[in-house]
Amino acid sequence: MSNLLSVEKLTMKFGGLVAIDDLSFDAKNNQITSIIGPNGAGKTTVFNCLTGFYKPTTGQMYLHQADNKVSLRKYTDFKIAHVAKVARTFQNIRLFPAMSVLENLLVAQHNELMIASGYSLYGLLNLKSYRDKEQLAVDKAKYWLDIIGLTPRADDNAGDLPYGDQRKLEIVRAMCIEPKLLCLDEPAAGLNPKESAELNKLLKFIKTEKKTGILLIEHDMSVVMGISDHVVVLNYGKKIFEGTAEQTKKSKEVIEAYLGVDE
Amino acid sequence: MEKQDIIKSFKDSLFTGLIALALFGPIVGLRTASKGEGLFITPQWGVVFLLVGLCILGRFLININSARRKEFKIFSTLSSKFSSITEDKAKHFAITGILFALVFPFLPFTDRYFMDVAIMILTYIMLGWGLNIVVGLAGLLDLGYVAFYAVGAYSYALIATTFGWSFWICLPLAGLFAAFFGILLGFPVLRLRGDYLAIVTLGFGEIIRIILINWYEVTNGPDGITGIPRPSFFGLPFKRSPDEGEMSFHTFFGLEYSTMHRIIFLYYLILILALITNYFTLKIRKLPVGRAWEALREDEIACKSLGVNPTNTKLTAFAIGAMFGGFAGSFFATRQAFISPESFTFIESAIIVAIVVLGGMGSQTGVVLASIFLIGITEIFRDLEQYRMIAFGGAMVLIMVFKPKGILANRKPTILMHGDKN
Repeated sequence: MSNLLSVEKLTMKFGGLVAIDDLSFDAKNNQITSIIGPNGAGKTTVFNCLTGFYKPTTGQMYLHQADNKVSLRKYTDFKIAHVAKVARTFQNIRLFPAMSVLENLLVAQHNELMIASGYSLYGLLNLKSYRDKEQLAVDKAKYWLDIIGLTPRADDNAGDLPYGDQRKLEIVRAMCIEPKLLCLDEPAAGLNPKESAELNKLLKFIKTEKKTGILLIEHDMSVVMGISDHVVVLNYGKKIFEGTAEQTKKSKEVIEAYLGVDE
Repeated sequence: MEKQDIIKSFKDSLFTGLIALALFGPIVGLRTASKGEGLFITPQWGVVFLLVGLCILGRFLININSARRKEFKIFSTLSSKFSSITEDKAKHFAITGILFALVFPFLPFTDRYFMDVAIMILTYIMLGWGLNIVVGLAGLLDLGYVAFYAVGAYSYALIATTFGWSFWICLPLAGLFAAFFGILLGFPVLRLRGDYLAIVTLGFGEIIRIILINWYEVTNGPDGITGIPRPSFFGLPFKRSPDEGEMSFHTFFGLEYSTMHRIIFLYYLILILALITNYFTLKIRKLPVGRAWEALREDEIACKSLGVNPTNTKLTAFAIGAMFGGFAGSFFATRQAFISPESFTFIESAIIVAIVVLGGMGSQTGVVLASIFLIGITEIFRDLEQYRMIAFGGAMVLIMVFKPKGILANRKPTILMHGDKN
């Protein structure tokens, strides 16, 4: 299995605080890689570096494409999603609450639609070429809504959905930008067991059907152990363990990091 | 009502009276008057006691009323009925409104005064619709919108008086200039939101006004620009006696000369400009850029994570909003034939923001209702002279109390998957 993402000697300092310390790991194509660790271990900081919200102090992050590799350091801000095709979701859901579910999914396809609408010119003239493209975007939205079973609520405000549905909507919204790598920040937080089972199904579907690599931060071990192909454990910004889910469960370092050391 | 309640509310109103006394005592009671040399204090205790008495009585009545839970029942039922009508039949309302606006100049009771007020209301409606793009859709609170109105007015006035170009050439130019200033303002405030953005835009409005006052060589300073050309009806001027070999509006159509012709023409001009603004906003809201504006208002970080470029999106909102402000500005200049920095003070910005916010952010019909309500009320109370601003304030308070989200605060999705359910 080929590498999708390689993180090399990544360090992020905030003043004197070292949030990530010389972290290296790989994520492979068509796999779900989980990053776990106690609170404050630096998991979300890794995500923020990967998705352009922070600029890492030192270190490199590469996204491997067909035959060349792209350095993610070159892209900041919105370009990570637009050019490098790395999508993310947030720990505290960030939907557009006062916009409808369908509109949320259309905003995710903004850049294609913007070109299709001739930077609004064709759109204002109501040309057929634009209307066709818009219909395609709606079809794509419908495809994803069918998968998460939210099609009947497509015209309701996203903020009015139940919490679990909002989580799923945020994930499929990120999928609408057709990412190479999908970064999910605690997607199972606040979900009940039934909802996290549904989430597992959705993530497996994305992995196998969409051939998208997934990077996952999660505290819910039923999710992590159920679907991860590879687990990276962080503590105090350092990688303390790396391996399969089974190996992780048995690892002495991991247990110590979570439960403390015997006196 | 229990006896206890009455005693309680009586005590409460006495306390209100105490606060009122503390406030009115020094402010109203001790009046300084200059007699010969120096200042002397003339006490006015009678007025103070009257005011304090009014406060006590008012508070007591409010308390009793709220205890009965019947307060303002009429108002709330009225307002809920009103909103249910307009929400259900927004389309009918819009069509009736436009039809009424079209025939308005020819109604029997319409006189010069009504036309002037109508033109003023329409100007504010257009400004409100223009600002609605920035505040209502993109969620960028702009307290300096009058700057673009001023840029439009001055561009038109300067180009028209210097080069003598016609209104129809100057209008788009004025719009372009205003849009340029919109981008100019947009750049430094890209990273600001909310209160901070409001303060900077407020400052920008003042900067433009102060430049207009001080750049004497170009803007003629506080004296303003006079003799701005009037618009012509496709080349036919509205003059009583046209120049040699020239036709004027009334001779061409064989009509009796009347000053009303020009007023009616101006009325239709601003009506068309306003309707263009409205049509454009309604259209662009359904395009990707419009959805990106609204998404930016909802959550900027989520926008970035989806690859939406926030810089471009914000700048287009500023530019397009400013452009319509510029159009309205050139209309203002050609209507008045005289402009000075006096016309572009902060209070104008405040009124436009009030119209957008009270109308219900992002609601096009709401802007119309709020303009009619706010401008209309100040006009009705024009005879009260300086007290008419109290009426303006009162109108704002009334809307805030009964419709805190604005007169019309419903948002319809820009695109539907299942079609209209109604």
